[in-house]
Amino acid sequence: MRGKWNLLIVGLFVLSLLVTGCAQQEQKPEATPTPEKKAPEEKPEKKVETMYFGAPISLTGKYSKEGQMSLWGMQVAAKWINDVYGGLKVGDKVYKVEIKYYDDQSNKEVVQSMIERLAVQDGVKFILAPYSSGLTLAAAPIAEKYGVLMNSHGGASDYIFEQGYYYVVQTLSPASKYQTGFLDMIKKVDPNAKRVAMIYKDTEFSRAVFNAAREYAEANGFEVVFDKTYPKDVQDLSPILNELKAANPDIIIGGGHFADGQLLTQQLAELKINVKAISILVAPALPKYYDALGTKAEGICAPAQWEVGVTYGPEAAKKLGMDYFGPTQDEFLVLFKEISGSDEKPSYHAAEGAAAVLSYAYAIEKAQSLDPEKVREAMNDIEFMTLYGVWKIDPETGKQIGHEMVIIQWQGGTKKIIWPEAAANADPYYPIPTWEEKDQGKLAKH
Amino acid sequence: MIVSEQLVSNLFYGALLGSVYGVATMGLSLIFGVLRIVNVGHGAFIMLGAFTAFWMFTLYSVIPILSIPIALIFGLALGFIIFFSTIKRLIDAPELSTLLATFAIGIFIEEVAKFVWGSDYVGFSWDIGTLYLGPVTVPYTKLLAFLCSAIIAGLLYVWFTKTKLGTAIRAVVEDREGAMVCGINVGRIYSVSFAIGIGLTVLSGVLVTLFVPVGINVYMGPDYTLKAFVIAVLGGLGSPWGAFVAGFLFGLFENGSYTLLGLIPGVEPFALTRFVAFVFLLIILLIKPTGLLGGE
Repeated sequence: MRGKWNLLIVGLFVLSLLVTGCAQQEQKPEATPTPEKKAPEEKPEKKVETMYFGAPISLTGKYSKEGQMSLWGMQVAAKWINDVYGGLKVGDKVYKVEIKYYDDQSNKEVVQSMIERLAVQDGVKFILAPYSSGLTLAAAPIAEKYGVLMNSHGGASDYIFEQGYYYVVQTLSPASKYQTGFLDMIKKVDPNAKRVAMIYKDTEFSRAVFNAAREYAEANGFEVVFDKTYPKDVQDLSPILNELKAANPDIIIGGGHFADGQLLTQQLAELKINVKAISILVAPALPKYYDALGTKAEGICAPAQWEVGVTYGPEAAKKLGMDYFGPTQDEFLVLFKEISGSDEKPSYHAAEGAAAVLSYAYAIEKAQSLDPEKVREAMNDIEFMTLYGVWKIDPETGKQIGHEMVIIQWQGGTKKIIWPEAAANADPYYPIPTWEEKDQGKLAKH
Repeated sequence: MIVSEQLVSNLFYGALLGSVYGVATMGLSLIFGVLRIVNVGHGAFIMLGAFTAFWMFTLYSVIPILSIPIALIFGLALGFIIFFSTIKRLIDAPELSTLLATFAIGIFIEEVAKFVWGSDYVGFSWDIGTLYLGPVTVPYTKLLAFLCSAIIAGLLYVWFTKTKLGTAIRAVVEDREGAMVCGINVGRIYSVSFAIGIGLTVLSGVLVTLFVPVGINVYMGPDYTLKAFVIAVLGGLGSPWGAFVAGFLFGLFENGSYTLLGLIPGVEPFALTRFVAFVFLLIILLIKPTGLLGGE
């Protein structure tokens, strides 16, 4: 009897070992796609080790779409580093990069414990911040506490970088730069267009964008002739637009989010308020904007962090006298398709995630060290280009100062990139057609 | 001079928007008047109307004006279904139960709509020209929204006062038990009133798209729910045409006060317009606590 029991226990033990073994095998490729090509093995003197970049990713919750995109972007960059670039060379060692990630459920509390887990339990020294300003702000003090570097690829708020954190750096353009590129462009194409009207949603993000835009406009010789906000759940903008019309501006910058951006355009059209150029936050960057508004959307501009079609590449970098690091856009698109397994085009979140990984890789090689403090120091002096644009931080705050927002414009039913010149694939259409001309079917097409 | 021109233009737009607000509130008021149920999910039905107009226009090129009867029929059917599946059981239930039930229905509709239409902000472009009237520039679609609202409110008024069913509904609003004693089939009046209330609300969603054809989204409802509550209270809860008049006034005050507030230096007038509209509500309720056209 006893022998039977022993046999059963031993049998169960073996079975459980087998099951856990299989489960581990299954889990492994999910965490990081196994590279198809191995790193060059012709240099046996260099030891290949694995380095982990840690990331809390919003795979569920309200940022799940953005989170998934950023993860794919990071994995594309890691794959490029491992397979194409041949790993990171630090001293006599070669490191492969793996992204170690956990689902943060788009939740602040979970993000904080994830950062702690990555820093303490997993011993990760380089962290890719979570998506959104709110989550990045929650993560920053924990990263700072454990002295691990944290790279923000989805937190645009300037506020994060005004808290005196040393180990927190930024890859994407801060909110304060969202509308300044458009003003630069206007200055270049029409130095006589001086009268700026600002009309924007009364939220924290829009206020940050437009306070900075106002300062920038005034410092650059523009005259802000109208500067008013509208409440967030507004259904009729006509009172404020009637007042704006009387101010007789040359250009309009404004907006806030999806719904009000559409409404603003619609009612500018209804009231026939004609100006030479219009830039609206968020809404026009989405294809649904053109679907909803049709030809009314012609010529409308919007700032965007990145778009498929930007012309950042080795040549553009050479022109600016800096290094180009990472996959070209074409390589990125191919790798992205491979890793995401879908035909969906990468959004700017993916490019941001990739750029954050690439900036770590570039800085680690420059520093020739895996010590976060030394890498952070090296970051102060680097300036290079990726498919996402230029990467350079303010040494004091860690805020991104090299990257420029691209400006898109709807031209003949397609989104064209018109600014900055290093990224543009079309010339700006200026001045835009009047609403009456658009009614008759005129497009903002060269 | 410019200020007075702006004022005229704003009041004009306010009147147009107010009429749409009015129709969007009549259903809420009717349902409360007859069934004593506050429909917390009110906005979700407006959203359904907006998507009806959107779908009819983009899929079948049906102009929004023609979507009005379609939305009404759709709303009536939906109203009967919801009445017999849920509301019927809750007529004499405690208030909290009906609040929770209508809240749940609202969420359910939103999530189903999200499944069907996704969570993007959509819209359509139906241009039929613009009217230039002195200082006022207004697209004909907005004028149509006003015209349709006025006609619908008028028809409803005639129906309530001249037809037998309308009179029966008014009788139930005034005195439920009295109506029952007089031989009115109160159960039937409940189901018909609820269906008409929902039908009107879905229909008003089409009017909303005539006024603003963009920004259509499955979560657009709650903004309208809040306004509808205020307007319903202002007009006197349970009085559908009181709601229409109140909506009209609310629109005038919301838009008209902008120009006057804009004259105060250093003030963000837009944020204050709603404040003024609510102060106005408070004053009316102080003078007449039952609302503008509410009973005693």
